Parts: sequence; structure tokens; C-alpha cells
Amino acid sequence: MRVFITGTGIISPLGNGKALTAEAVKSGVSGITPLTLFKTPSAPLPVGEISFTHDDSVPRTHSLALAAALQATAGLEGPLDAVVIGTTTGGMAVSEELIRRADFNPARYLLHSAGSVSEYVAGRLNCRGPVITVCTACSSGSVAVKIALELLRSGKGRTVLAGGADCLCRLTYHGFNSLQLIDPEGARPFDINRKGMSVAEAAAMVVLSAADGTPRGAACELLEVGLSCDAYHPSAPHPEGRGAFEAMQSALAGAGVSPKQIDFVHLHGTGTIDNDLSEAKALKKIFPAGAPSVSSTKGAFGHSLAASGVAGLIVTSMAMEEGFVPATRCAAPDPKLEIVPENRVIHKKVRAALTNSFGFGGNNASILSADLSAGISGLPQTKHPARTYPSAFSVIAASCSTGAGNKAKTMESIYAGKPCAGTRDIAEMSAGIPPPAARRLKRLARMTLGLAIDAVNDALRGERPGSVYFGTAWGAMSETYGFLSGLFKSQERFASPTDFIGSVHNAPAGHVASWFQATGPNITVSGGDCSFEQALYTAGLIAGDGDTLLVIGADEHHEPLSGAFDRSIGPWPADGGGALLLRKSGTVPAFPRIRVPFLRFCPENAKGDIPGLIAALGGVDVIRELFGAVLASVPACSRETGRGVVSAFMGASGLAVPVIDLREIFGQFATASAPAVAAATEFVARGELPPMGGDGLKQLHGRGILVIGTGNYLSAVEVLPPGGA
Amino acid sequence: MEQLIEELKIKIIETLGLIQLSPDKLDPDSQLVGGEMGIDSIDVLELVMMIERDYAVQIDSRELGEKVFATLRSLAQFIHENRPR
Repeated sequence: MRVFITGTGIISPLGNGKALTAEAVKSGVSGITPLTLFKTPSAPLPVGEISFTHDDSVPRTHSLALAAALQATAGLEGPLDAVVIGTTTGGMAVSEELIRRADFNPARYLLHSAGSVSEYVAGRLNCRGPVITVCTACSSGSVAVKIALELLRSGKGRTVLAGGADCLCRLTYHGFNSLQLIDPEGARPFDINRKGMSVAEAAAMVVLSAADGTPRGAACELLEVGLSCDAYHPSAPHPEGRGAFEAMQSALAGAGVSPKQIDFVHLHGTGTIDNDLSEAKALKKIFPAGAPSVSSTKGAFGHSLAASGVAGLIVTSMAMEEGFVPATRCAAPDPKLEIVPENRVIHKKVRAALTNSFGFGGNNASILSADLSAGISGLPQTKHPARTYPSAFSVIAASCSTGAGNKAKTMESIYAGKPCAGTRDIAEMSAGIPPPAARRLKRLARMTLGLAIDAVNDALRGERPGSVYFGTAWGAMSETYGFLSGLFKSQERFASPTDFIGSVHNAPAGHVASWFQATGPNITVSGGDCSFEQALYTAGLIAGDGDTLLVIGADEHHEPLSGAFDRSIGPWPADGGGALLLRKSGTVPAFPRIRVPFLRFCPENAKGDIPGLIAALGGVDVIRELFGAVLASVPACSRETGRGVVSAFMGASGLAVPVIDLREIFGQFATASAPAVAAATEFVARGELPPMGGDGLKQLHGRGILVIGTGNYLSAVEVLPPGGA
Repeated sequence: MEQLIEELKIKIIETLGLIQLSPDKLDPDSQLVGGEMGIDSIDVLELVMMIERDYAVQIDSRELGEKVFATLRSLAQFIHENRPR
């Protein structure tokens, strides 16, 4: 089975649609101009702004994402099986104005979340399959392409939409400026006089199709996407380009392609001093005998954050189709870099190419694609590593953080028949983190790192994670609020760089990677009440056999943002999370097993999806044999519907076991299922269900626990006892 | 100058959350960034913002920053010479 790009959609400062974009790229023009989208107190900086009147009933990012998605799917005949979209700021362009006015009415934040971007697109395109939102900062779109690729390889679909979208907003405009990363003359990647990047907006989407032969209308073949993490610094790239090298290396090795076969590298090339230096070092290591043609288009597009990697991929596919290499806005190449990018458009056959994309948190991706004729010109056909799908993990260790405390205290509370919902003291939460390391971490980052440390400490044999998967619905609200309130209090003159760096959803997972030197994939996803399940599901797609990894779900409580963002937050604040240290190697007999056989976007009525859920779990007989209890996550904002779905499932499956609403135990917050799953692994290992919801202790009789998620998604997580196959 | 140095010590500790540090432990002539206190490039940018806000002095490039933030004394000197009177 091979994977092809069969549809592309792009809207950027260079134009709306592939044809206009191609024309602009080939003529070498730049779309970077001074900001006009919103007023700023000092002279507007150069940005990549799109001349586009958006439907203002939705945030600009959503509108851009839909425009690109409609282009990409225009020729699509069959159904769309899944949607995977990366974004960094979601509906922030609207939310930041509301926050400035101190308007915290939850009805106005319905499209605030990162997850709402892909949900909006999936809803408009009638996709009811898996929907995943990737938040790995500037590499989000490229990481989305990797997840989509693995969805196809796993056989979970034949056609997937993947991409990235971000619009200009005050948070990123002032944030990058506070880091002194903006070139006042516009981005000049790899130039000796470069002073930084130009923040931009764009949406770039591709339709990926699985096929044995080349499908009609295919633009190019997607061979592999290499992922890595610098595990070095929250915002600066590794000075030797370690992570960038590993991402490119992993893409090449995964497909069995040699560096000699690469004709072109579309650089990440932001134009910042550090990125370009680090990327050049990585290139020299990959291509010791001399690099092929390299180019960055960020002097033309600007840096469109989550969209940039896929915009790069689309340019690369144009280069293959039309036989050219795009120009870099680089008048005087920096001799220190020892890599000279093409500074004018050159005509050249491009058979195989890498497209680089790197983000905050050291989250790196490199996409390897090939011209359609490459198969006959000596490139191997896609050779992806043998891997087991769907993926079961062994749970080596687990930790949780709840209102009651750590896992031991949570267990104590549950066994005493008491709920453990609440907000834990921040000092207790981060007890394992030394003060110098905790100094810059606010609530979510501390909670997440604390959870990771607790889980790893709980492992008996000293296993350490090589990769990290993190799910959060709302991200670092403390940093986001700190940044925006400081910005608005100073009439947009001062913004905290520390808060900006900490405000990205993937910052906590970046800290975890640095702590453990986990240089493998580092993926943060966000999907409202399904965020933790999306992280576990994504881990199942990406992790290789034998990998040891951390899967974490966490959300913080924040006044006033939690109540504004999350309609399930009631008068009793609660937050927390859970972390699982997992091994993927078939199964290890001594440990409980975990798997996500079902995850589907179904915003209205999930009852129609219950037959699919039952089938994914193996049918009614298997369900009755495997599960001794059901933990259901029923968000308060859709309680009646959620309860209806759970009881319909119980009825249809004939499963007659205790059903517990896990949010009544762990609290109403988006990732409440994370501590619940962590606790469930403990229950299953002990073979008993402690007294919850008024019932006494019950034996599981060798059976496991099924965790069902309701809300905008229907999901199932199986937690099974040790020893099974 | 000495008074400005004392004032900066308190502001630095407060801005960067260096709660375990007491002002008398900050030597005005020791290396400020990358030294024992663990102050790094992000902290420098946070201090750049504080200095612009509180003293109306801009430090807007990395080259300038490297010189100015060499020691606490060089920072105080720069603020002293450049603040509006």
C-alpha cells in the first residue's frame, strides 16, 4: 500500500488556491507587507497577511482552514475517513479581544479551542471518523501529515484530510516580537544580515489517499515523515541541529531512501539567527558530500506557524510536478552556514525531496515525498516499518493528580468511597521538581512534568520514555492569560516572552522531553473532552514496536478562563491529569494492557455510532467476556445526551456490569478521563473495583474496565488485566 | 550607581522568580547570564521588558544585550547612561 497526495488546498499571502500560489512562487514575489489586520501602538511590523474577507461568524483561522479544506477536497469522490489538522492558536484572534474586554461569557468562546478548528472543518465536510488536532507549535501541520499517514497505513481509512491553519493574532504578533525574533525588513532566510522571521497567516491542506497504484489526479507520493524532539530548550533549537538531523534521518531511514537520492530540501528556514544555523548544521550532517538544492519560501509566505510545514509540502509537490526549485529571499548568503540556498527560481527535475518543519518545544518533522515517476527512476517503493495495528500497550507504570493528591492519595480517597475532585496545591503537585527547574513553570507545565516524573519513578525496572504524547483541551491558560493581561494592561507595549513561550499547548510536553532526554516523537494533541483519548490513540498510531513512551492527559483550572472556555465547569473547580508509562512490544505478561479501538467525531447524536463501537470492541460476546465495569466520561454540558449514549451502549451490548460516571469521582474537567484511566490500570491490576458511586467493593473476576468517552466524540479505551495475549 | 544596583537586584529576583536567592548573594561583578544563578536567554528577554517598562531604556538587539547583560554592574551602567532625565 502506498500513500499519495491527491488534493491540495492553500490560502496564503501569496494567493488563494494552488494555481495562484504556484504562479507567485515561480515568479519569486514576496507576500510580506506591514500589518494592517489590527492596530498596534508602534509602527506595524512586516507580516504575511492575507487579503481575505472572512466569514466573521467564525474565527479567521476556522474560515481559512475551511477555505483550504474545500479546495483540497473539491475533486474527492468517496467519503473522507478522517481529519487531522494542526493549529497553534485556534480561535485566539476572537478570544483575545474578548479577554481584553474582560468578557468571559462562555457562549462567546465556542470556537476558542485549538480542537474546534478541525472539528469545524470535519463538521462542514461531514466527516464522522477520527478527528485529531495537533498542537506542536510551528511543526503542527507536518505532524498532522504523519498522523494521517499512519492512519492510512493502519487501514483505518483510505482518504484523510491533513493540514495546518493559523491566522495572525496579537498573541503571536507580540509574542515573537517580545522574543526579538522579527526582522524589521522582512524574513531573509540564510542571509548574512538576517534578523528574524515574519509572522504570517495561512491554511494549507492535503488529501492523502491510500492506493496500490498511482491514483488519478495524484500530485506526488508521500514516502515518510520523520519526527524527533530536541529535548533541549523550550524555544531555541538545538545548537548542533540534533533534532533537525534526527527528523530528516528518520524520514530517510523509514522509507529506505539514501540522501544521495534527494534533489531538493524545502527548508524550515525561518530567518532567525538560531534556526538557520541549527538547520544548516543538520543539513551538513545529512549530506556530508554536499547538499542538494535547498530553499526556504518563508521570505515569500512569511512564517505561517502551524500551516507552514504543509504550505512547504505543497510547494515541494509543485516543484515535482513542474520541475523547478523555488527561490529564497537571500541576497547575501551567510558564509558561516556553509549552505547556499537557491536565491532565484531554477528549473530542475525534482524526484525526491524533504520538507522540514520545526517548532517550539523542539518538536521537529521532516516530510519525504517523491515525484510520481520516482518509482521507475530508482527510488524504492514505500517501505514502512512492520508494526502492529491496532496497537496495544503494556502499562508499565501510571500516575495521577487529582484534588485528593497523587495516585496513592487518590486511591486512598476512592477506596474510602470519597470523590477526589478538586484543585491540588501547586507546591504539592510539583514536589518532585527542583526549584530552579520549576521557576518558570506555571500550573499546567508543573502538573504535567510532575505527573511524568511520578509515573517514571513508579516503574520498577527504571524504564525511561523515549517519546511523549500529551493531550490537553485548553493548554497553558495561566501563561496565556498572563501574557494577554500584561499586554493589554500596557496598551500592547509590553509582553512577557516567558509567558509567550509557555503559552503554546506543547510547552508542557517539551519540558517532559527535556527532563527525560526523550528525543523521539513529541506530540501534543487537543480535542476538548477527547484530548487524552486522542493522545493515546495517536501514540497507538505512531509508536514503534519496542518503544517505551509516556502518554499524559492534563488540564489546569484557571480563573477566569476555565469557566469561559469549558461549558462543563460548574461551581466546584477541579483539574488534574494522568500519565501512563507504556511499552509497545506485543504485551508484557506482568502488566495491564491498554488500547483505543474506537475514536470518532460525532457532535450531534452518537447513538448511531454504537454499532460501530460494538464492532470495534470485537462484538457483544467479546465485550461481555472482557469487561467487568464501565467508566464513562459524561461532560456536564451534554449530560443528558452523554448518559443516553452510555445507556444505549449498555443496552445494545447486553453488558450487565457497574457503570460509573468518572467525572462524578474525578471532577468536571476536559481530561478527567486521564486520571480515571490511570486509576483503572490500578483497579485492573488488583482485580477489583473499589466502592464508587455508592456501591461497595466488587471483584472484576479477571476482567478489565472499559472507559467510554462522550461529548463531541465517542471513544473507547480498553484497560485489560495482565497476562492476556 | 550603587543604589541602582541594589534596586536592580530586587527587580531581577522578582521578575525571574528566583525565590531561593537573596539580594546579597548577587555579586555586581559576576557573570550575570549563564552563571550560577541559571539566568538564560529567555530571562534576558524578560529583563529587557522590565527595563524598558520601568526605566524607559530599550535593549533591542542580541549584540547589544550580550554587552549590557555581562554583569549587574554593566547593566546598571547602561541604564544609568541611557535613561531619560
